[in-house]
Amino acid sequence: MGFMRQEEGSSSVISSPLQLFSMMSLSPSLGSPNNALLREMKSEERGLYLIHLLLTCANHVAAGNLENANTTLEQISVLASPDGDTMQRIATYFMESLADRILKTWPGIHRALNSTRVTMLSEEILVQKLFFELFPFLKVAYVLTNQAIIEAMEGEKVIHIIDLNAAEAAQWIALLQVLSARPEGPPHLRITGIHQKKEILDQVAHRLTEEAEKLDIPFQFNPVVSKLENLDFDKLRVKTGEALAISSILQLHSLLAWDDEALRRKSPLLLKGSNGINLQRVLPLSQSTLGDLLEKDVVNGYTPSPDSTSSSPASLATSNSINMESFLNALWGLSPKVMVVTEQDCNHNGPTLMDRLLEALYSYAALFDCLESTVSRTSLERLRVEKMIFGEEIKNIIACEGPERKQRHEKLDKWFQRFDLAGFGNVPLSYYGMLQARRFIQSYGCEGYRMRDENGCVLICWQDRPMFSISAWRSRK
Amino acid sequence: MLEKMDDGEISNAFPLQNPSTGASNQPPVLKRKRNLPGNPDPEAEVIALSPKTLMATNRFVCEICLKGFQRDQNLQLHRRGHNLPWKLKQRSSKEARKRVYVCPEKTCVHHHPSRALGDLTGIKKHFCRKHGEKKWKCEKCSKRYAVQSDWKAHSKTCGTREYKCDCGTIFSRRDSFITHRAFCDALAEETARVNAASNISNYSIMQNPLGPSMATHFSSFFKPNSCPEEPTPGSQTSKGLSLWMTQTQAHETIANNNLHEFHQLGSATSPTSIYGGGGNPLAPCSNPPSSNYQLNWVFGNKLSSNGNQDLSSTASLPLVNDIVKDNPNLQLISVPSLYSSQHQSHQTNSANMSATALLQKAAQIGTTSSDPSLFLGSIGLKCNSPGQDGNKFCGLYGSSSVLTSYDADNNYSGDLSQMPPSKRRHLQNEESAWGQTRDFLGVGGANHLPPFINQGMDLI
Repeated sequence: MGFMRQEEGSSSVISSPLQLFSMMSLSPSLGSPNNALLREMKSEERGLYLIHLLLTCANHVAAGNLENANTTLEQISVLASPDGDTMQRIATYFMESLADRILKTWPGIHRALNSTRVTMLSEEILVQKLFFELFPFLKVAYVLTNQAIIEAMEGEKVIHIIDLNAAEAAQWIALLQVLSARPEGPPHLRITGIHQKKEILDQVAHRLTEEAEKLDIPFQFNPVVSKLENLDFDKLRVKTGEALAISSILQLHSLLAWDDEALRRKSPLLLKGSNGINLQRVLPLSQSTLGDLLEKDVVNGYTPSPDSTSSSPASLATSNSINMESFLNALWGLSPKVMVVTEQDCNHNGPTLMDRLLEALYSYAALFDCLESTVSRTSLERLRVEKMIFGEEIKNIIACEGPERKQRHEKLDKWFQRFDLAGFGNVPLSYYGMLQARRFIQSYGCEGYRMRDENGCVLICWQDRPMFSISAWRSRK
Repeated sequence: MLEKMDDGEISNAFPLQNPSTGASNQPPVLKRKRNLPGNPDPEAEVIALSPKTLMATNRFVCEICLKGFQRDQNLQLHRRGHNLPWKLKQRSSKEARKRVYVCPEKTCVHHHPSRALGDLTGIKKHFCRKHGEKKWKCEKCSKRYAVQSDWKAHSKTCGTREYKCDCGTIFSRRDSFITHRAFCDALAEETARVNAASNISNYSIMQNPLGPSMATHFSSFFKPNSCPEEPTPGSQTSKGLSLWMTQTQAHETIANNNLHEFHQLGSATSPTSIYGGGGNPLAPCSNPPSSNYQLNWVFGNKLSSNGNQDLSSTASLPLVNDIVKDNPNLQLISVPSLYSSQHQSHQTNSANMSATALLQKAAQIGTTSSDPSLFLGSIGLKCNSPGQDGNKFCGLYGSSSVLTSYDADNNYSGDLSQMPPSKRRHLQNEESAWGQTRDFLGVGGANHLPPFINQGMDLI
C-alpha cells in the first residue's frame, strides 16, 4: 500500500451511531450556511449541525488532514460561542481543544502561544469554590465520605485522616461538627492534607484549626506540599496501628497517566493506540517504519527519552516507578481502616482520540446541561466554571497524550478491579449514609440530579447518566 | 464571656424546673455545647434582670472623658489610653454555670424560666423590641424600631429590592416572597392554567408538597446522632420552606444552607432572636438562621443580570431572571424529553433542547436514516453541501473501518446504556444491520448501508 497507513485509532470512526451522524452528508441544507441562514438557524438545528461539525473535525484531526480540519474549525467557530446555548458552549471548548491538539504538532508555536498564560492562584481557588457551590457532587461526596469515616471510626479515640487533595475545608468542618456531637466525646483528630500549593494548605489549616477550637476538639493539621505522583509516604507520618482514613476526591485518575508512560517505555509496539499520528508535514513517510512513527508521537512534540540521561518528567516517574499500582500498594501498606474514593464515572481514558471525544461529548453535555438548568446564561460564575474547569479538562482529554494527559477518568468497574488487585475490599456505603445523600439530592431543587446505588457504591447521575462515583474500601489482609 | 451586672440583678440560683408542658423526661446525658433555641439547659442558672439594666447602654463611663462603654472590659482598655490604672478581669473559669435570662415583663412569654433566652444580648434586644419605645424610624418607609441595629439593618435594605406578587403584595425579601407565592391564590390559578396548557403533567409541584420538614434534614446530615430537634414555629413554615425549595431553583439557598451548616452548625443566637422577637412582620415564615446574609452574598455575586429572555414565561413578574426559573413550566424545558423517552424528538421545545438530548437525537438520526435525504426533511434549511469533501474522507474511513474489527463495542454499548429502553430496541435493530456490514466483507450485500461504505470497498 503506497499511501500512509492510517493509525488504528481513526478506524473506530463509524463505531457509533453518533459518528455515523457525522458521516452523513448533512444534505444540501446544512453544508455551509451563509450568514443570513445562520441567523435563522434555530437552536436545535444549530446544535445538531455543531455536533456534526465537531465529529467531522475530529475525524480530520485523527486522520491528519489539517486542511480539512482547518475548514471545519472555521465553520464551527462561526456557530459556537462561550455564552450561547449549551451546545454552542460545548462546541467552543471542544473546538478549542481540537485546535490545541493540532497546534501541538508545532511545539514551538504552541509553547510560544501559551507562554503568557498566567493563572492566578486566587482564580483557581475561586473556581474550585464555584464548582463546590454550583453542583451537588462535591457536597454529596463529602456527606458520604464523612459518614463512611465516622462509621469506620466508631469508638476510636484517635483518628488520622489523609486528604489527598486538601483544598476545601468545608468537608472537614462538617466532620468536626459531627464528631463534636459524639456521645462519648470527640476523638483526637489529626488531618494530613496534601496539596501542591502551600498557600491553600495554610488557608485550610487556619479554618480547620479555628473550627476545632470553637468546638473544643483536640486537632492537628499536618500540611504536606507535594504532587501526588511525587508523594513521599514517609511524610505522611502514619503511625503503626493507628486508625487511619483516606479520602480521595477526584485525584486518583491523574496517576493513570504514568501507567501509560510505563507501558510505553516497555513496549512501544504493543501500545493499543498511541495516536502516533503522522501529520502530513512531518516525515518522508517512506523511510519510517511503524515502530518509529509510534515512538516519535509527533502530535505533541513529545519524544520519550532514553532512560537515564533526560530530565523529562517521564523518566523521573519511571525511575521512581510511580504508577497507579505502586501508589495503591503504598496506600494499602498504610493499612487504612477506610478509604473513600470519589471519581468521575466516565470513560475518558480510551486509547484513541475518537473514543475519548465521543465519550467526552456525552459527559460534558450532561455537565453543561446541569449548569444550563440551574444557572443563568449570563452568569460569570458559570462561564468561569465552564471555561476553567470543564474547558481545561476537555482540552486535556482531547489535546494531550502521554503523561501530559491527566484527566483519565474511568468507570467504576475499572476502579473496582484496580482496588481489588491492590488488596482492598469494598465496604458498602451504609444505608444511613445513602439516605442522607438521597435526601440531599432530592431537596437540592433540581430534578435532574439523581442517585443510584450500585454494589454498595453510589453513582450521582444527571438524568440517567452517571457522573460521579463514590465508593469505600478497606485494606484486606 | 460573662458579664457581671452591677445593679438590678436578681439571680435565681435554682436550676430550671422542667416545664409542665413539653418534654418532662430527664435530659439525656449528651455533652452538647449549645442548647437549641427555646430549650434552655435545665441545669442553667436563671437570671432576671431589671428593665433598667436591660435597656441601659454604655453603662461603664470613663471618668476622664465621659465616654460610655457597654462592657467593662472595653472601658478598662480605654483607660489605658489615659494612663489610668486598669485591670482586665479574667474570663471566669469553666465551673461557672451556664446562664439563661428571663424577661422581667410579666405578660411576656419569656418571663417563664422554661422559655428563658440564653444570650444576654438577646434578652436585651428582646426587651427593647417588645417592651420598649420605638425611637428609631426609617426614612423611606414608616417603620419604627426600638433597637438601633434593627433600624440600621432595615434601612440598608429598604427599597433596594422589591418583589411584587401578582396579588399586589410587596416583599423586600426573596425568601418570604417565594413562600408567599406558594400559598397565594392568584398565582395558583395562573399556574393551573399554564400547566393545563402544556403537556407536562408529571411535574405538578404544587400538589405534592414534600412531607417531612426540609429544614431538619440539613441538620441531620451532619449530626447523625442527634435527632432533628430544631423547632419550627409551626408546620406552616416548614411546609412553606419545602414548597419553596422545590418550586424554585433553590440550589443557591440549599447551597447556602449547607454552607451554613458547614460553617455554623448549631449556632443558637440568631434563631433565638427570631423566635424571641416575634416582631417579624411576615408572620408565617421564619427564615432559616443566617440564610439572610448568605442570600445577600449570593445576590451580590451571581445571577445579578437579567438574561434568559428566551426563557421568559407567562408569569408577568418583573423580576430578576432566577425568579423566572421558578415557573415550573420553564423548569422542564431544558430537561425535555428524557422524562418520556418515546416522545423524545417531538416534545422538545427547539429553543431549549438540552445538549444531552441533542446528542441522542443526532445518534438517532445517524442510525435511523441512512438516507441523507430523510435528514433533509428533518432539518429543512437550504444551502450547499460539503458533500464532496465528506465522501472523500468517508471513503478513506470506509476502508479502515471495515478492515479492522468492530472493536468499539464498548463505545457502542456505552451509548446504548444511556439511551432509554425504547430507543435501545431501535438501535439494536441497527446493530444487527452492522452485523450485516461485517458479513458484507465476505458475503452478500446489505441494502441498509450508507453509500460511502461501498466507496470504501473500492479502495481495498
